[in-house]
Amino acid sequence: MKKYLNNIFNRKKHKEGKKSTYDFKPSWLQNFLLELGGLSRFTGNFFRELFSYPFEIKEFLKQSYRMGLSTLPLIGITAFIMGLVLTLQSRPVLVDFGAESWLPGMVSVSIVREIGPVITALICAGKIGSGIGAELGSMRVTEQIDAMEVSGTNPIKYLVVTRVLATTFMIPMLIFYSDAISFYGSYVAVNMHGFISPQLFITQAFDPLHYFDIVPATIKTFFFGFAIGIIGCYKGYYSTNGTEGVGRAANSAVVISSLVIFIIDLIAVQLSEIIHIFSI
Amino acid sequence: MENNKDILNNTNNNYVIEIEHLQKSFDGRMILKDINLKVKKSENVVILGKSGIGKSVLIKCIVGLIFPDKGSIKVFGKEVTQMNHKELNEMRTRVGFIFQSNALYDSMTVRENLEFPLRRNKIINDKKEIDNLVYEALENVGLTDVIDKMPAELSGGMRKRISLARTLILKPEIILYDEPTTGLDPLTSREISKLINTIQNKYNASSIIITHDLECAKRTSNRILILQDGIFYAKGSFDDLKTNNDPFVKSFFITV
Ligand SMILES: Nc1ncnc2c1ncn2[C@@H]1O[C@H](COP(=O)(O)OP(=O)(O)OP(=O)(O)O)[C@@H](O)[C@H]1O
Ligand SMILES: [Mg+2]
Repeated sequence: MKKYLNNIFNRKKHKEGKKSTYDFKPSWLQNFLLELGGLSRFTGNFFRELFSYPFEIKEFLKQSYRMGLSTLPLIGITAFIMGLVLTLQSRPVLVDFGAESWLPGMVSVSIVREIGPVITALICAGKIGSGIGAELGSMRVTEQIDAMEVSGTNPIKYLVVTRVLATTFMIPMLIFYSDAISFYGSYVAVNMHGFISPQLFITQAFDPLHYFDIVPATIKTFFFGFAIGIIGCYKGYYSTNGTEGVGRAANSAVVISSLVIFIIDLIAVQLSEIIHIFSI
Repeated sequence: MENNKDILNNTNNNYVIEIEHLQKSFDGRMILKDINLKVKKSENVVILGKSGIGKSVLIKCIVGLIFPDKGSIKVFGKEVTQMNHKELNEMRTRVGFIFQSNALYDSMTVRENLEFPLRRNKIINDKKEIDNLVYEALENVGLTDVIDKMPAELSGGMRKRISLARTLILKPEIILYDEPTTGLDPLTSREISKLINTIQNKYNASSIIITHDLECAKRTSNRILILQDGIFYAKGSFDDLKTNNDPFVKSFFITV
């Protein structure tokens, strides 16, 4: 990573015609700042290439399809269990208060607002983010990215833009799908203790949901998707040190994007609080 | 290096690559110190040198994959370090690069690998014509039967030959070969050396060939350079260097 940054610095320096040798041992803080700088620069590159012709529609669709297909079963199972368990766990408390009919509503609010998006995004960080990190990482260390560059294809455009767009649009959809399955899991759990019709369940579940639950929760999912894509690509694209570096790229893609998901979630909560206050 | 205004002056000479005082360090370790190299049109230059001495770095500088610290690199009379994206792409379609690690795209079949440079550069869009070119390129390296295989299903030597085919499909005017015969049996190596010469004669292409294979060096070279400690330690024709008395040069030509 440092090598690449140095390379970037050198490129600039070279144009200015100055001497350039960067040989310092960065501390963890410098490392962090270097990483942050590199990621910002990379994001800048992403946006520059995003709006330039030609658009790699075919590759984008291929990546979206791959990501969606590979995660559907995993997300389906976890979402079902999540809805089921959440309902079963919350039930005794509500029964104590004699508020059993609030159960679907309470579960739906927690799923739509928080648990669905965050858990699904974390699963996607593990599955999609690490996949991107490993794929681009191995393309980097086997010189495939260089080969692309010398055959007149901008790898940022062809590999990075398509993948980041794919995660940005696929992860919200996967979260929507996950929420739906969780509702089903919750319905099954409610039915374990006496029958309730699907219509009644849906009415009870959707009753407490307002637009300020749904809108911010939806908007943040796009940011989750973007973060997973850009971090996976960044770590993969700049991986070094052979096959060992590929593993490291995949690993740190997951770690960093999971962390960033929580940070985005925190910011989203604060923002939606503010919006809520102003809208009343 | 600063006066990039006299680009026009270079159009009347017949050097396709001109490198002057090239310098490159990695992490404070100077790999290339002072490289000067001029390659004429239709000339094959062979570079010999120990492993890890910077041969690959040198040719990566030529296509702009690595940025030099100092010095000038001109390809077709234009300074590589000053090129913008468009100029760089234009130059790269005319310069073929064969990677030491082959760099075949794992996620694509052999056919898609070969089509990639054609389609990406929008040179040809006709499906039939692309098919013909792909077939011709595979025929050149004698591997028409693996067209629908994935790179992972091929042997090392096959991969090398496919990567040759992929580079040559664009009929580049300069070809940079990074160890084109490493890992091949003597027979196939000989075929590859012959192919390099055929391309030189047929298309008037210039080449830089990095190799450890003396037979390949002998067959293909018009000129040989030996890279050592960041400079070209010795230069000359194959026979010149073979009879050279310098012990270091001699050590390259010891045969069993
Ligand atoms: N991107 C890079 N970052 C840091 N160091 C590098 C980089 N590329 C090459 N090097 C270093 O430069 C030196 C020369 O590498 P290079 O690949 O050019 O060797 P080579 O002469 O091609 O050797 P071989 O015959 O084994 O291929 C090596 O010591 C390598 O560690
Ligand atoms: Mg090499």
